[in-house]
Amino acid sequence: MSDAKVQVRQLTKGFGELLVLDNLTFDVRPGEFLCVVGPTGCGKTTLLNLLSSWWTPTQGEICIDGRAMDPKTQNLSFVFQESSAFPWLTVEQNVQFGMKEKRFPPELIAQRTREVMGLLDLESVKEKYCHEISASAEQRVVIGRSFALHPDFLLMDEPYAQLDIKFRLHLEDAILALNRSTGSTCLFVTHNIEEAVYLAQRCIVLSNKPTSIKAVRTIDLPYPRDTCSPEFIAIKDEITEMIKWW
Amino acid sequence: MNGFSERAAPRRLLRLLPLLSLLAFLSVWHLAALCTDLLATPLDTAKALAGMLFFPTSKVTLLHHVWASLCRVLAAYALAIAAGVLLGVLFGWSRRFHDYCYPIFELLRPIPPIAWIPLIIMWLGIGEPSKIAVCFIGSVVPILVNTYFGVSRLDPTYLKSAKILGAGQRALLTHVILPGALPSILTGMKVALSSGWVCVIAAEMIAARKGLGYLIIRSMESGDMVHILVAMILIGSVNFLFSWLFSKLEGVVCPW
Repeated sequence: MSDAKVQVRQLTKGFGELLVLDNLTFDVRPGEFLCVVGPTGCGKTTLLNLLSSWWTPTQGEICIDGRAMDPKTQNLSFVFQESSAFPWLTVEQNVQFGMKEKRFPPELIAQRTREVMGLLDLESVKEKYCHEISASAEQRVVIGRSFALHPDFLLMDEPYAQLDIKFRLHLEDAILALNRSTGSTCLFVTHNIEEAVYLAQRCIVLSNKPTSIKAVRTIDLPYPRDTCSPEFIAIKDEITEMIKWW
Repeated sequence: MNGFSERAAPRRLLRLLPLLSLLAFLSVWHLAALCTDLLATPLDTAKALAGMLFFPTSKVTLLHHVWASLCRVLAAYALAIAAGVLLGVLFGWSRRFHDYCYPIFELLRPIPPIAWIPLIIMWLGIGEPSKIAVCFIGSVVPILVNTYFGVSRLDPTYLKSAKILGAGQRALLTHVILPGALPSILTGMKVALSSGWVCVIAAEMIAARKGLGYLIIRSMESGDMVHILVAMILIGSVNFLFSWLFSKLEGVVCPW
């Protein structure tokens, strides 16, 4: 039996004549941080929509813990590119939203709220509404809300795309800390290769449409990673070379 | 003087602007009244108002007239909130309900509340229910339309996020759709309150015995311009008071 947390088998998605994803097969290991990179328009968002069950595949299957994926019974979470923090809730209420919906015991909600807000440096703004905090803090709220559930599988769609570089670096460290402390299995989609190399234990490189897996690159550099080290730059260049279409 | 004080002084002056505009309005009114016999002066109107507070006009005092109109407006308003929010949420949430019923609503929506009066009299007679019904028609439309737009224009990312975080259909409605649409619902409710006051005047044309609309109609029949002005000022003032209270309430229930 496979030790994979998530198994994706022969995943294919087409829209009429247009074949977007062509026969993708990969595993995500328990607690792993997996990044998916690829050229713009290659179907990364389509892949996420299938992995989150918003769309049904034309062919293939996705299993979590050996069972067909079902958001109703399995603990999934999703961080969107655009902020999805609920403006009518305070920071603290946002972080607790999923736990309350899933009827976690109050003590567990309180404990996880403290843990997540501490790791994401949100304690000082916990009573504030999202319009009163910065864009970076708002995205931290959304990330914290997802991690607080300790999801079986957490999908992230370029959650830092709207933020500037100094916030990105800070948040990348925070997300790694949360991944380690919650043990959640994460799949992070990005077009930023440096970000992928900084975060991932493995990186899936997608081809142009019809999209298939071009390579799976293991990144075994120790954390925290030095973006200026020769090894880091070498891996980044190697992945960039694979994505190049020009 | 430091920068703060320099900015504070104009801010204090800005607070006086509404008072200045009121004074300007009264001055223009007074000057206009001096030039013609067709308009009573503000002072005459104020004197009449003071007198009407204590002496009955058309058998009841002014406060009774205000109270009668207010009861009609508020009864219709409460019904309009219940119906408008319910139908607005259904229009915004259920594609099938929207496609089935919205064309009928769009057909009925442009008909002015006053145009319904003959039919309402035939259906409900000339008692209180008919007056409330006219106000209801005037109030329900803005609430329904704003609720519908609030629900249908809610960012789909919120719904997707809530679903994936474990929210079921009921939780989606109570924890996401209603709070997300609340600012828009409140805007509709604010407009509906004014609209209700507009309609009450028309409604009180239906064999009323008291109310500000009735007072205007009676005064018009007897050519009593001062009483018409008093009733008009009271309608404006009560509506202004409600709008002000509403704005305060909005800040409490919708602080985001």
